[in-house]
Amino acid sequence: MSVLAEGMAGSRPRTPAGRAVAALNRTAIHVFLALIGIIWLVPTVGLLVTSFRPRADIQSTGWWDIFNLHLTLENYSQVLQAQGMFQAFLNTVFIAVPSTLLPLAICAMAAYAFSWMRFPFRDTLFLIVVGLLMVPVQVAFIPVLTGMRELFPDFQLTRNYGAIWLAHTAFALPFGIFLLRNFFITLPPDMIEAARIDGASDVRIFRMIVVPVSVPAIAAYGIFQFLWVWNDLLMALVFVQDSSKYPMTRAIQTLLSQYGTEWHLLAAGAFLVMIVPLVVFFSLQRYFVQGLLAGSIK
Amino acid sequence: MMRITRPLTIVSLVAVLVATACSSGGNAPGTGASGSTITVMSLWGGSEQESFQKVLDAFKTKTGVTATFDSQRTNYSTVLQTRLSGGNPPDIAIIPGIGFLRQFARQGSLKKVADLGVDVNALKSNYPPGILEIGQVDGTQYAIMVKFNSKSTVWFRPDKFKTLGVSAPTDYAGFTKLLGDIKAKGTAPMGLGAADSWTLTDWFENIYAKQAGPEKYDQLFSGKLPWTDASVATAVDTMKQAIKDDYVVGGITAALGRSFTDAIGQAFAANGTAVIYYEGGFVGGIATGQTNTALKVGETIDWFDFPAVGSGKTVTIGGDVIAAFTTKPGVKEFLQYMTTADSGTVWAGTGAVISPIKSVPATAYPNDLAKREAAQVANASAVRFDGSDLLPSGGGDNLGAALQTAIQGKTVDWAAFETAMQTKWKAEK
Amino acid sequence: MGTTPQGLQLTRDYNALTGGKAARRARGPERPKWGATILFLAPASLLLLVFLIYPAIYTVLLSFNRGRNGTFNEWVGLDNYARLFADQDFLNLSTFPPSGALWNNVLWLVLYVSIVIFFGLILAVVAARVRYEAVLKAIVFIPMAIAATALAVIWKFVYSPDSNIGVLNAILGAFGIAPVSWLGDQNIVNFALIAVGIWGSVGFATVILSAAVKSIPAEVIESARVEGANERQIFFRMILPMVSLPISVLAVTLVVNVIKLFDLIFVMTGGGPGKASQVIAFTMFQQAFEAGQYGYGSAVAVIMLVLLTPIMIFNVRRFRAGSVT
Repeated sequence: MSVLAEGMAGSRPRTPAGRAVAALNRTAIHVFLALIGIIWLVPTVGLLVTSFRPRADIQSTGWWDIFNLHLTLENYSQVLQAQGMFQAFLNTVFIAVPSTLLPLAICAMAAYAFSWMRFPFRDTLFLIVVGLLMVPVQVAFIPVLTGMRELFPDFQLTRNYGAIWLAHTAFALPFGIFLLRNFFITLPPDMIEAARIDGASDVRIFRMIVVPVSVPAIAAYGIFQFLWVWNDLLMALVFVQDSSKYPMTRAIQTLLSQYGTEWHLLAAGAFLVMIVPLVVFFSLQRYFVQGLLAGSIK
Repeated sequence: MMRITRPLTIVSLVAVLVATACSSGGNAPGTGASGSTITVMSLWGGSEQESFQKVLDAFKTKTGVTATFDSQRTNYSTVLQTRLSGGNPPDIAIIPGIGFLRQFARQGSLKKVADLGVDVNALKSNYPPGILEIGQVDGTQYAIMVKFNSKSTVWFRPDKFKTLGVSAPTDYAGFTKLLGDIKAKGTAPMGLGAADSWTLTDWFENIYAKQAGPEKYDQLFSGKLPWTDASVATAVDTMKQAIKDDYVVGGITAALGRSFTDAIGQAFAANGTAVIYYEGGFVGGIATGQTNTALKVGETIDWFDFPAVGSGKTVTIGGDVIAAFTTKPGVKEFLQYMTTADSGTVWAGTGAVISPIKSVPATAYPNDLAKREAAQVANASAVRFDGSDLLPSGGGDNLGAALQTAIQGKTVDWAAFETAMQTKWKAEK
Repeated sequence: MGTTPQGLQLTRDYNALTGGKAARRARGPERPKWGATILFLAPASLLLLVFLIYPAIYTVLLSFNRGRNGTFNEWVGLDNYARLFADQDFLNLSTFPPSGALWNNVLWLVLYVSIVIFFGLILAVVAARVRYEAVLKAIVFIPMAIAATALAVIWKFVYSPDSNIGVLNAILGAFGIAPVSWLGDQNIVNFALIAVGIWGSVGFATVILSAAVKSIPAEVIESARVEGANERQIFFRMILPMVSLPISVLAVTLVVNVIKLFDLIFVMTGGGPGKASQVIAFTMFQQAFEAGQYGYGSAVAVIMLVLLTPIMIFNVRRFRAGSVT
């Protein structure tokens, strides 16, 4: 039993008055928590309901008017087709998947090197990685764009997805290397030593031992990174410079600036952005929380 | 969304604009680039986009060059600058203000019109005096004005005016009286979309140009007259005589959260209660095309001249210029095409814009609203460009913010404003 | 971070120079195998150098320059910084209360960080007493999965000045109070935004602090109870100190969030009304990518870096002290 729950059991009052006070305490707690639950659900639920209401309804009554509930999928259909959210959805997937897989691979390799390989200045270099955790992405914008423009104009990196894949990957590295290295370090050295004695190369040890054993940690990081990229706006604003490649976050932002009060579209659009992360969150909650607890710095 | 306007440095834009067809318009664009594709970027959407698309279609028919329209409705200047930074500019773009024109030109991002192979001297005959100068930075031609709208049009509902028994005013004192009269009859008269602070700058510029005069206007918006000059505060006070909490439907606070398109709806949507809305000539197109297609020109929608302040009748206009960022085949042809009467007539025919090209005939405009608008500017005693678009980048926003403060009844620190503005002018060099 | 079997506790920290022969051997041969090392480190090193380290240096240098088009075209020394601190949109100390983007970040720092931790702790403690704890934590945590852009839509909806749409103004209307323009009023917009930030982050704090509180050994608390300590004393004298480390980790994350804050502001208010809700990340973006003032924008980026440096040092120190995670 948790420390706190025990507190309740341990201090059970003996007198009727004491029991009444305790009961009041319990009620107060339930009321408080119910209030918290409401505050944390109402905004999202309100928008969800609105996304299924026809435009005319939204303009005339509030979504809480449950007697006037006419539900429709019209908003979603409109936002997907006429407003281009379907393309934006594909774009988001197209951006998020490589921006997750690439960092995963690169971080795992570097983390392995920092945990189980020896090379000069290893620990100092790792401290640098820890330091780099704090570098804000803003310092990279101007030099990277200028570099892409002046040095690699032919690759047209900002016109295709190259720029944003590389940018997301690079900025994911400090956190990923930090996280995975901290996990790799906890693996039993006997396992690895045995493999070395058998003559296994580092590549083999990495592929055959470290990675399979670390799947939970790697998965946790992968999910975390995926959601981070899926939900990102700033990097997309800077590095995705072709209108047909805008991800959903950008599309919603444009929709919001343009049609500030067309809530039927905005609500549907917002939920399209939220669906995948929410599904991932609910089904893989365990991993997601793990990832957060482990690093707590992004 | 920012309206692009340019100040006219020469007073007599008078009879020249609505001159009868003198068909020696522009030169026929070359056909060497036929088959190529160029991108044209602008912040127009909705009905404005449709109108412009007609021009692009006509261009393709004439030259075989496909111009794809890239509409960036939000954060336009940011998108443009970011693309430039990334080496990804559109071939042609509408420039969102003269401050930005200067910014891009001095950066070296724009191609000089002459360098593209266009004969700048030959263009002079296409336009009334002063128009071409608008697209120049430090004496070199970088951009060409392609359209404008009057910003001295006050839109109203003639049907409701009739019911209320009031009529359009002839001067500003009459205007404020009109507002008071309508309010006294029970409804707040005006719509206002103060979240789009540029609408407030339009109010200010109209009043200032009329009240302080065109010369002072030029000085103020080129950084030569400090904002601490008494004429500024006077103009703001005059503005506040009309923009009052009582006179605005929903009050000032609500107006601060309202966009200008919603404010158009306050007067012209089917369930709108306002009877007056002030903004430029483009309101007509938006109101009839998007807000309420049932509107009837002359019956349920019309405009009167922004009332004279004292004896001042200077008209303010807002316009757009286009410039080239690359030298791709087709760019020169497009720029050339946009200087011809052909393009001007097609565009004018949509009713969305007034063309600055001299040889576009009055008959090209489809309805009375546009014809009158063109005539208003042509017959004005003095014409000036939207000042906030003349200021350095960010300056227009600062002015808008200051005016938002003012209409709430708070005092504006014009000294601090002037310091900030001077820093911006300096940074531009 | 997951569960490691008890036996591994002893072999946790390989930073230590002492270590069994097996551990040392496992870590790799004395002479590095260069081929393998390069293979494993090259991609990361290359990307970090090109996208983080080199740009950071570049930006710092560019901040002393006019930076036309992002290149070094004219040295201006500390001019950009002088301009920055004289710019009232950035920091305006002449009025009370102060205003400006930097000030807004300070406001966020003080209110957002403290309230999130406070609420997180309370929820962690209170929720532990009910059976539906997991459900409640999940509910409060949901916003963490939602994009800041979508959060902006959700809350612009809630804050809508139209009482047929915005739930807050509808509630006020039910009490006969006129609708409030939450995002249109310069005086309250920042608080409205901070509220959204808090709403988004409390779940994170709750989860972390809940785990922290639960890891307090039950016997210690139990013996205190037996000795007659009441709930309040236990909370303040025992629980709080024991979770001070996770709280500090949490605080660091929140502080970093505040300095990097951009998406929410950009989408909800665009820095408005006027410039009232701007924050420094927004200023950087605007100066560099709207005004084309690359040197000036770089100066703002450098200021962000400077503000984050103490945290960087704190992190590195903490790491070296061996408290991994």
